[in-house]
Amino acid sequence: MSDAATQAAARPKAGGFSIWQRLRGWISNPWGRPRFLVLVTWSYVIWSIAPVLIAIQFSFNDSRSLSVWHGFSTRWYWGDPIDSVWHSADLRGALAQSMKLAVVDVLIAVPLGVLLALGLARWRGRGAGPSNFLMLFPLVTPEIVMGVSLLLLFTQLLTFVHTGTFAQILGHVTFSISYVVVIVRGRLFSIGTNLEEAAADLGASPSQALRLVLLPLLAPAVVASAAIVFAISIDDFVISYFLSNGANTTTVPMIIYASTRATPLPSTNGIATVILLITLLSVVAGVLVYRFFTRGESGRGSTIDDVAGFGI
Amino acid sequence: MAGGEVKLVALVKQFGDVMAVDGIDLEMPGAEFFSMLGPSGCGKTTTLRMIAGFEQPTSGQILLDGEDMAFTPPHKRNVNTVFQSYALFPHLSVRDNVAFGLRRAKTPKNEIKQRVAEALELVQLTGLERRKPAQMSGGQQQRVALARALVLKPAVLLLDEPLGALDAKLRKALQIELKALQQQVGITFIYVTHDQEEALTMSDRIAVMSDGRVEQVGPPSEVYEEPSTTFVADFLGVSNLMSATAHGDSDGRCRVTVGDFELYAARGETHTTGDTRIVIRPERVHLEPHESSGENRVPGIVERVVYLGNSNQIIIILANGDRIQALVQNTGEELTYRQGDPVRAYLPAEALRVLTDTGTAAIDEGALPAVGSAA
Repeated sequence: MSDAATQAAARPKAGGFSIWQRLRGWISNPWGRPRFLVLVTWSYVIWSIAPVLIAIQFSFNDSRSLSVWHGFSTRWYWGDPIDSVWHSADLRGALAQSMKLAVVDVLIAVPLGVLLALGLARWRGRGAGPSNFLMLFPLVTPEIVMGVSLLLLFTQLLTFVHTGTFAQILGHVTFSISYVVVIVRGRLFSIGTNLEEAAADLGASPSQALRLVLLPLLAPAVVASAAIVFAISIDDFVISYFLSNGANTTTVPMIIYASTRATPLPSTNGIATVILLITLLSVVAGVLVYRFFTRGESGRGSTIDDVAGFGI
Repeated sequence: MAGGEVKLVALVKQFGDVMAVDGIDLEMPGAEFFSMLGPSGCGKTTTLRMIAGFEQPTSGQILLDGEDMAFTPPHKRNVNTVFQSYALFPHLSVRDNVAFGLRRAKTPKNEIKQRVAEALELVQLTGLERRKPAQMSGGQQQRVALARALVLKPAVLLLDEPLGALDAKLRKALQIELKALQQQVGITFIYVTHDQEEALTMSDRIAVMSDGRVEQVGPPSEVYEEPSTTFVADFLGVSNLMSATAHGDSDGRCRVTVGDFELYAARGETHTTGDTRIVIRPERVHLEPHESSGENRVPGIVERVVYLGNSNQIIIILANGDRIQALVQNTGEELTYRQGDPVRAYLPAEALRVLTDTGTAAIDEGALPAVGSAA
């Protein structure tokens, strides 16, 4: 049908048609598919994914080159006894440090963020509005500003916090909490206060209402925010860098940055691929658990879908 | 299971500068179907929420069987609520929703099983125990909400416009069921609604509310037939309100003048003199040929005839300029009045009521499609 429409639109120009006219008819035909938009979309997808795919490809290169393909090999993952991801102490250490930061960040930021969201959503009165607004602050503050401020804070004021893993965790938790709060609060608003009132009406104490009604309903938001916190923590460079303290606090993004500037090896691409895979897996797991918790629900939780980008 | 007597004493609730409930005194004897009726924002839902314990009164008392519970938290009150939105727990099955309250009360397992089954039978939902709320229709969800509240055998059941979200036909059917259910379980129902027909159909008594105050309390027939204020007359059903001058009682009837016409009104404040309002229900207005004569007959012209199915609504402009409605039952015979015809409206003295307050009339919600909005 759309082809017929295309022909119909092109027909008046058929007499003295040029390529230009045909192209215009093809793109601006209002009955056809939005070909121009499709073209733009696909261009963008290819543009954004191609470099990543090429980087992944060269992590399997059977040579030290990052520009000439010498055949498939897994030497940069475990074959090479010195420089592979598996055998290099630096790379393994960085991977361990990144995972440690991300896991601890999730374990601290998610419970704290849920409590904060509960408090902010149920808080009526003076200060509630500004506090709700201020929670968004870490989301819009440039990371470098936050990194510098935290470094100054820990070296000048709170000197008992030495740079290193502890400081890095504090930094990660600081910016992760906002994500948790925003996501959980969105879900809280869509749940409303009615169900808590119903629970109280049926004889549940406030803590029982929280445990038996609110938390089960918040589960999808909690899972979504955990996946997101994990992903952004593993991805973080600036704050980890500012608050690091020597080789044993180097994270994967830091080591990738350092080795690309010095002597880039395919193993750098290898560790990047590993981190990409871990992030993807965490998000996929998040989506699956989220789907599991929200099965049978309709309408409710659309806010969280938007916020978390889980409306797939 | 005696009791369930609720008494509100000088109850006030203020939200900032807004007086939501402005000093309410009400007595609801046990086992009564009591309705609070009023337009949006009249304070009826706030009053209900204070009885349930979701709001704390600014001042005043809420007595349940003689005991003040104004400051008892909701989970310790022997009252249960059916919410407008049902507020069923979406993550729990029907059975777990209904058992929720019993489990909180640490009821033995066997008894929970038995009472849940009984409650579901009461609302005719046996067999749907495993369903989730999202897998049920609005009417079924409404029944689950009822079962969930009734299974706890509360002294008082509070209902906040529970039929508001249902379509007209289902609402009618459930009205009758609810009333029957109340008589069966024999506990106090306090029912909040803005739908006057709903209140008239089900209630033993109705409190008509406006602006945080109670305008009138009484059985349905009384508030409908004997409205004590302009607001009540206008809010319940359609009323013809006219400004008049009263000249006092003569033989139990009040002589009033409306423009150049002299009428007799036998109901209401018949002893009054001076500026008043007179009111008559459309179904009590008789239309007669223009030539007819006699007491309480006012000439007018048919402005519009509206076909309503079971009746015809005829709008007449009286000679003094007032516009009134008459309701003529559809008996199958052809209507003799057409637009522009001169007629004579007979307003029988025994249907004409004198009101002394000159308060504002309610927005006539009866003429609008019902909107399910909370007060």
